[in-house]
Amino acid sequence: MKNFLHSLKIYFILSLYSFKTINDHRKAIFFFILGKFFRFLFFFLLLFFVFKKNPSVNQYNFNQVIIIYLTFNFIDTLAQTLYREVYRFRPLLISGDLDLILIKPYNTLIRVLLGGLDFTDLGFLIFYLFILIFFLIKYQFDFLNLFLYFLLLGNAMILATAFHILVLAFGILFTTVDHTIMIYRDLTSFGRFPFDIYRKTLRDFLTFVLPIGIMFSFPPKALFGLLSFENIIIAFLISLILFFLSLKIWGFSLKKYQSGGS
Amino acid sequence: MKKIITIIKISLKEYFVYRLNFFLWRVRAFINLLIIIFLWGASLKTFSIKEKQIFISYLIYGITISYLILGTRTTDIADDINSGRIINTLLKPISFFRFYFYKDLADKAINLFFAIIEAFLIVKIFNINLIFPKQILFGLIFLINGVFISFFINLLISFIGFWSRETWGPRFLFTIIVSFISGGFFPLNILPKTIYQILMLTPFPYLYYLPTRIFLGERFPFYIFFLSFFWLLGIFLLTKKVWITGNKSFSFWGK
Repeated sequence: MKNFLHSLKIYFILSLYSFKTINDHRKAIFFFILGKFFRFLFFFLLLFFVFKKNPSVNQYNFNQVIIIYLTFNFIDTLAQTLYREVYRFRPLLISGDLDLILIKPYNTLIRVLLGGLDFTDLGFLIFYLFILIFFLIKYQFDFLNLFLYFLLLGNAMILATAFHILVLAFGILFTTVDHTIMIYRDLTSFGRFPFDIYRKTLRDFLTFVLPIGIMFSFPPKALFGLLSFENIIIAFLISLILFFLSLKIWGFSLKKYQSGGS
Repeated sequence: MKKIITIIKISLKEYFVYRLNFFLWRVRAFINLLIIIFLWGASLKTFSIKEKQIFISYLIYGITISYLILGTRTTDIADDINSGRIINTLLKPISFFRFYFYKDLADKAINLFFAIIEAFLIVKIFNINLIFPKQILFGLIFLINGVFISFFINLLISFIGFWSRETWGPRFLFTIIVSFISGGFFPLNILPKTIYQILMLTPFPYLYYLPTRIFLGERFPFYIFFLSFFWLLGIFLLTKKVWITGNKSFSFWGK
């Protein structure tokens, strides 16, 4: 408990620094937020053109497609809000500044994984949450399904955490971070649309080999009552295995770490 | 000519220093192409075979051409301005604009080469029946215009570096806007007519939407040809003006 409170205090301080950094780049942040908003809007329009105008596409109605899209945005943005520091890991690694973090008396992951809240994404997170609630209210859901939906959202965050830890570990082992994290982002973008539009082979690969499907398509499927009990159990098992595996690989990578500093 | 070849050669060699990075970048591009093809492939069931063929051909050609149009190394300029490294480029025995244009050519060539291979793979995997390009000469004129419009817009964004260190924000916004309203996700003519007509007045459809549509055999009113040159000239003059003004306000401390 004492350790947890200590870590929380450090996280609070790091979040404060993160806020100050954002405050120093107000102009760029303004354009960044505008860009993100346009991206959200453009994809919304894309979904409108694809699904509203072709109601026969797959088994989902437009409202369900929007819930899938908003669920994707919510998970994706929450991961970015919490784990933005991963995107800044490479400079730490190649400059050798990681040494300065490793010698600090707290868990290294607090600094290189969490690092401090990303306040630009936090704003978007709240925005997505409100729209998601609006569409969830519009949708006639079953309370058990809603409960499973939130449970699987939590499960998606465990997977997102595991993926980010793996990116950090690969960064230490192979010094490539930027593209690995962007490949993760690109792969997750498969979850922006209903998984049923993809071919079965790809769908299975994305669900059970790279559990992107478990992250993004399982929560809405549970909400719509389309997910079997076995799949829910499998989802939690895969997430836990991947999470513990990522921690193991992280530990291994730290042992292999060689400083690049001067 | 020797200078041009040297610049292109050096730029290409830079890519092979970071081979893994380049490979991963192309993997990302392939994933994005795959998602678009799946998305539209699933939703074109109500289209006739001919309409579907035109639509998918547009996506394949459009996304491939976009690497030729948007491939750029001008993103380095803002950092060079802020760090003062731009002085090294200004001292070279070649004009700044030409230097970056040839660097861009190398970027475009290597990206286009791999984009063609990826498009070929997609065509084979999905057994797509592509439309053979038509009106090639006319399309090429628009294509070259698109390359230059994109080059000058990219320079303009980088020149923000003369006045601010924060160029990544505007560039991110530009990338998002271009990817959608240049027709990177769908042909713009599926938009409501008013929105489509408004978009045609902006420079973005002239990047790769128009060249692609022309290659697919579509005919456009003649004023579109003038608009393309109008945007090319307008953006060129604006870029020149900003470059001169930026140079006058530029200062840095030595090494």
